[in-house]
Amino acid sequence: MMEKGFVMREGENGFERALAILEMIYKLPDNLSEEDVEAARNFVYPELQNTVIGLLELPADRELELFFFRLLMNIFREARNAQAEGKKLVFIPFTFPPEIFYAFDNIFPLCTEIVGGLITNICYGQGERFWDFAMGLGLPDSLCSANTIGTMPLFMGPGIRPDAIVYNSAGSCNPNAKIHAFASDYLGIPQFILEKPVDESRRGRELYYNYLKRFIQELEEWSGSELREERLREVMERSYQAVDLYHEYWELKKARPCPVPNIFSMTLLVLRSQCWGRQEAVDVMQRMVDISKERLRRGEYTAPEELARVYITYIYWLFDFAGYFTWMEKEGISILGDILAIHYFPEKDPSSRESMLRALADIAFDYPMTRQMGAESISLRWLDDIAYAAQDLGADACIFGGVHACKHTLGTAAFFRREMMKRLGLPTLMIYGDVFDKRHTPMEMFQEEVKTFVEQVVARKRAQSRRRKAPAPGASAPERG
Amino acid sequence: MEATRALERETEIFNQRVREWKEAGGKVVGYSCVATPVELIEAAGLLPYRIKALGNAETELADGEMSLFNCSFCRACLQLGLDGTYDFLDGLIETNGCDHLRAMFENWQHQRRFDCFFYLKVPHFFRDDSLAYFEENLSLLKELLENKFSVEVTDDALEEAIRGWEEVREGWRRLSALRELDEPKVTGSEALSLEVTGSSMRSEDFAALLARYMDEKAGSVGVRPTARLMLCGPATDEVEWLEEIERLGAVVVADALCFGSRAFAQAMPKDGPPLRRLAEGYLSSIFCPRMYLEYPKRREFILETARRARVNGAIYLYNKFCDLHGVDSVLVRRDLESAGIPVLVLEKEYSARADLGRVKTRVQAFMERIGGGA
Repeated sequence: MMEKGFVMREGENGFERALAILEMIYKLPDNLSEEDVEAARNFVYPELQNTVIGLLELPADRELELFFFRLLMNIFREARNAQAEGKKLVFIPFTFPPEIFYAFDNIFPLCTEIVGGLITNICYGQGERFWDFAMGLGLPDSLCSANTIGTMPLFMGPGIRPDAIVYNSAGSCNPNAKIHAFASDYLGIPQFILEKPVDESRRGRELYYNYLKRFIQELEEWSGSELREERLREVMERSYQAVDLYHEYWELKKARPCPVPNIFSMTLLVLRSQCWGRQEAVDVMQRMVDISKERLRRGEYTAPEELARVYITYIYWLFDFAGYFTWMEKEGISILGDILAIHYFPEKDPSSRESMLRALADIAFDYPMTRQMGAESISLRWLDDIAYAAQDLGADACIFGGVHACKHTLGTAAFFRREMMKRLGLPTLMIYGDVFDKRHTPMEMFQEEVKTFVEQVVARKRAQSRRRKAPAPGASAPERG
Repeated sequence: MEATRALERETEIFNQRVREWKEAGGKVVGYSCVATPVELIEAAGLLPYRIKALGNAETELADGEMSLFNCSFCRACLQLGLDGTYDFLDGLIETNGCDHLRAMFENWQHQRRFDCFFYLKVPHFFRDDSLAYFEENLSLLKELLENKFSVEVTDDALEEAIRGWEEVREGWRRLSALRELDEPKVTGSEALSLEVTGSSMRSEDFAALLARYMDEKAGSVGVRPTARLMLCGPATDEVEWLEEIERLGAVVVADALCFGSRAFAQAMPKDGPPLRRLAEGYLSSIFCPRMYLEYPKRREFILETARRARVNGAIYLYNKFCDLHGVDSVLVRRDLESAGIPVLVLEKEYSARADLGRVKTRVQAFMERIGGGA
C-alpha cells in the first residue's frame, strides 16, 4: 500500500509519532467545516480515516474533540519534556487515579493504556503491530491486549522511556500486574506496587490505606520530593471540580433520548485515566456538560429515533471510533457507559493531609475495574455495579465486549448474564472481540451482531413493554390524581 | 524401574482412604492453593483435601459457567464440583491464587452453596504489613473452623500439626535427593504421583507413605537417563504427562511445580506463636508467579534447584491462558538460558490427549537439541 499520512516506520517510537500527529491536530482551526473534515479524511490512510470521522464527523463531537485533543496534547508535551525538566516520568495503568502523582512536584504520570489507545487510533498498523511485537518477545497470546499494547511502545523504543512503572492490580488482575512487572524487569526500571486486598471489610480498607501511605513514602524516597499538603489540596480541589461535573454528566445521560454523544464516553475514560486532578479535566468536563445540556434543551439527537439504550458491561472497543461510537449513534443506539464509567467518590474533606489521603485511598479502592475485579466476589460486585448503573440510566439492554481473553469477566459472564436477566429483565449480548486488536472480531461483524440484537431483542422488548402499558381494548384509562 | 507396593496411582477423587475417613465420622475440607496452611485444617481434626481433577477432561458443566479462555485445569475441577463428585467435602477454602481460580471458586459457591466456605486472602508480597494481615486471616480461618465443626484448635494441636507437616517436608527433601542422584532412584512421575496421593492425606499418613516408598527404593538400582530434565509450571496432577516424557528416555530429576517441590518449600520459623509461624512460613515461601516484587527470589529457587540436580535442560509447561506462568516463563527462559540451561516453553490444555502427541514431539526435538535424544 502506498504510504500516505502518518506511517510508523521501523525504529520509530509510537509515542513520538502520536505526538507529531497531535501537533497537527493542534494547528487545525476551531471551526472546521464539513469540507475540511472531508479533506482531512481523504488526506490520511484508510485506518486513520475512521479516527477522523469518529472524532469530527458529528458537529457536537467535533466541537468537543478538537478542544479536548488540544489540551491532551499539552499534557503529552509535558510528559515528553518531564525528564529534561528534572521530573521523574512514571507509567501508570488505567486502573490508577492519576491525581496521586500530580500531587508530587517532580513526578509526572503517563497512562500506558491511554498511550496505547492513542497510538492504536492514529498510527498505521494500529494496535496489532505492538501486539505482534509482544508475541515476538515470547509473551502469551492470551494476555490482556489493553495492557500489553499499552506497554509495548516502551519496549520497542527509541523514544520515551519511563523512570519507573507503577501498578495497583496485584490482587485484582493478573495480566495487568504481570505485564507491568515484566516491563520493570525488561527495562531495568523500578516498580512500585499498591496491592488491592480482595477484602471489602473495614479491615481491608484500612490495610489499603496503610499500603497507600507506604506507597507514597516509597515514591517520596525514590523521587526525592515530598508530597506536599498544599499541592495535594490543589490537586484534590481540581479533582472535585471534575467530580461535580461528572455527576452532572451522569444525570444528563438519563434523559431520553440521551443528549450525551456516544464518543464522550471515550473522552471521559481518557480524562479520568490521564487528566484528573488537572485543570484540563475540569475544562473538558465542563464543555461536555455544556454541549449535552444544549442538546437536551434543543431536543437534539443524531438518529431519527432512539431505538436502544445500552450499557456496555465491560469496556468499549477502541480501535475504530467511527465504527463503534458514531455508528451506534447514527443507528439510534445510545451508549450509556461501561465499567470504567462508574466512579465512586467519597465526600470531599481537604482539612488535612490525612483526610485527603484517606479520600484518595477510597477513590483508588473503588476505582473502576479495581473495585470489581479486586472485589471479594468479582461476579457479585460486577453485577451489582452494572445493574445499578443500567437501572439508574434506564438501559434497555447490555452488551458484553472488551478484551479478548479477560479471565475475570469471561469466567463469570454466564452468571452475570443470567442474573441480569433475572434481576432487571435486561438481556445481554455477548460479543467476543478485542479493545485494540480488530483481528479478533472486525467492526463489521460487531455492527451486524449489535444491529440484529437491537432489532430482534431490544425492539421486541420495547414493543412488549408498550403493549403491556397500553389499556386493553374496551378498558377505561386509569384515573389520574 | 519397578513400581513399588507403596505407590498406587490415585485414580478416584473420592478415594478409599477418604471414604473410610468419612465413614468413621471425619470431616473433609477442600483447598486448592499451596498458600493454604494445611496445618490449621489438620489441627482442627479435619482432613485437608487438595482440589484436583486427576486427569478428568470433561468440562461441559463448567463450560456453561466459565469460558474457554479460562484455564482448563480450573474448569476440570469445577466440573467435578458441579457434577457432584466433590459433594463429600464438608467445607471449601478459596484463595486468590489467580484469576481463573477465583472464577472457579465463585461459580462453585454460587451453585453448590457450601455452609463452611472461607476466602483465605493471601497477600501478593511478603512484608511486615502483609504478614500481619495474613496472620489475621489465619485467625479468622481458625475461628471459622472452630465454629463450623465445634472444635477447639489449641496451640498444642497446631504445634503437632506443624511437626507433622515438617516431617512431610523432610521426607520430600529426601525423596528429591533420590531423584537428583546420577542414576535417579525416583522418577519425576513417581514423585508427582506421591504428591497427588499425599495431597488428600493427613501428615502422619503422608509422611508414612513417603517413608515406606523410600525404604522400598533404597536398595533399588537407579536409571541412567538420556537427559536430566527439570519441569517448571503451575499446578498439574497429570502424572501421565510426566510418564510420557520419561518414556522418551529422560528423567524429570527436579521440578518447580505447584503439585511438586513448590508445595514443600515452606521455611517454617522455629520460634514464636504457631499462627505467626504458619503465616510467615507460608507467605515467605510462595515461589509462584502470583507473587510480585519477588521474581529474583523465584529465579534463585529455580536456578538453585536446577544446579543441584545437574539438569541438562528445563521444560516450562503450563496450561493455555495462564497469564501468570505465561509471562514468568519468558523471564525464566531468559535467565536459565543465560546460566547455560536450555529451556523449552510449552502451552497445553489440561488433560488433552490431543496435546500429548504434540508435546512429546516437541520434547523429543528438545532432547535432541540438548544431546539427550534417543
